[in-house]
Amino acid sequence: MLIIKDHCDQCGTCVAVCPSDALSLGEFKVRVKQELCTQCGICVKICPIKALELKNEK
Amino acid sequence: MKNKWDIIVVGAGPAGLFAAKEAASEGRKVLVLERKREIGLPIRCGEAIGHEDLIKYIPLEERWVSSKVNTFIIVTPNGREVELKSDIYSGYVLNRDLFEQDIACKAAEAGATIRMKTNVVDLIFNDDKLTGVIAEEQGILKHYYADMIIASDGVESKLAKKMGMDTHLKPTEIEACVQFTLTNVHLNKHALYIYVGKSFAPGGYAWVFPKANNCANVGLGINGKYATENKHSIDYLNDFVERFFPEASVQKLATGGVPVTKNLDPLIKENFLVAGDAGHLVNPLNGGGITHAMDSGIQAGKAAAEACKNPEDHKKILNKYNKYIRKHFGREHESLDRIKDVIYQLSDDEYNKIAEEVIKIDINKRTFMAVFSKAVKKHPELLLDVARAFTGI
Repeated sequence: MLIIKDHCDQCGTCVAVCPSDALSLGEFKVRVKQELCTQCGICVKICPIKALELKNEK
Repeated sequence: MKNKWDIIVVGAGPAGLFAAKEAASEGRKVLVLERKREIGLPIRCGEAIGHEDLIKYIPLEERWVSSKVNTFIIVTPNGREVELKSDIYSGYVLNRDLFEQDIACKAAEAGATIRMKTNVVDLIFNDDKLTGVIAEEQGILKHYYADMIIASDGVESKLAKKMGMDTHLKPTEIEACVQFTLTNVHLNKHALYIYVGKSFAPGGYAWVFPKANNCANVGLGINGKYATENKHSIDYLNDFVERFFPEASVQKLATGGVPVTKNLDPLIKENFLVAGDAGHLVNPLNGGGITHAMDSGIQAGKAAAEACKNPEDHKKILNKYNKYIRKHFGREHESLDRIKDVIYQLSDDEYNKIAEEVIKIDINKRTFMAVFSKAVKKHPELLLDVARAFTGI
């Protein structure tokens, strides 16, 4: 699943590129709709400060 | 109807605030909804703007100015500095937070209402007609209604998508930017420095824009195409700062995405208008968007106000807004977008060679147009685009 780390600065770059509309900006953090996320990883790569991570579900 | 307004503006950046100020001055009842807690902050911007570009839209106030600049210096991968003709340029590095806060005051004085920490999460439709927005406010969903809605909700815009407009950005259409405001920077205080080349910032550039007290906005943007899991924007910036400013300290960190593509077209749908970054109204070559935000905000505010007064003509009035943007930015941005695609493909070696040629040009003739003409010489078909982009033909 897609994890937003605490150092996320909420710049919205990931939101703008998400092809499946799974991300949005909340009050303090980026919000993820995991059910829409296809784990394509575009957001993980594009985040300017490495605040996103895809983790295998256990 | 409770909470009924003439116009709702979503997003209180420069586009939204200018739209609100304009529409409220026309006597409309305007509500601005902003997700964040403070106008103008955090600053996600290099803050540079040309004098002429600013005063076209608003008289300058001294407190907005952190430093005055009068020249550009382009730095190539091998460290060669190329200064451009300086006597025609004058500009500022702003305190953009103060600038936006003052615009918010002016919008409020014109009669607009601004609400902070109000996150618009959805649109309201009644029989397929857009009638308002749903906003999250202190954990509660509230409904606000209006005749016209202006989406100036930034690069991360959700509203236009909800309206059925395609605002999604491909990785190639966005620059992933990060910026430090550094202290203890000692360069020419009146120069905007642009560092070009793949080693600094692939598919983009790095900038050093001076601010007061030996501070500077030092940042870069890399094109999404070059974003990898191994090397992010922040890694490039850390390398850059270590190389050029080892003595400096970080005062501030900012991140942001900048759309670098053609404008969204159309920017309107029924009673809905898009302005600023949300409509990709940014110079795709340099990523500058403050003037576009002001211009589109003013025009969108004007159009929305006029459409409220003459609802039967709203289609024609909104079309006028779209035509205005297409005329003022559309063609120029398409040209800049084509130039960008070629420029950002250049290797570091090619940049170094171009600089050696440019430096031979007499400084009085060394303009951006001259530089880009050299840079695209392998693509003569782009010369017209260069001329168009830099002279406004």
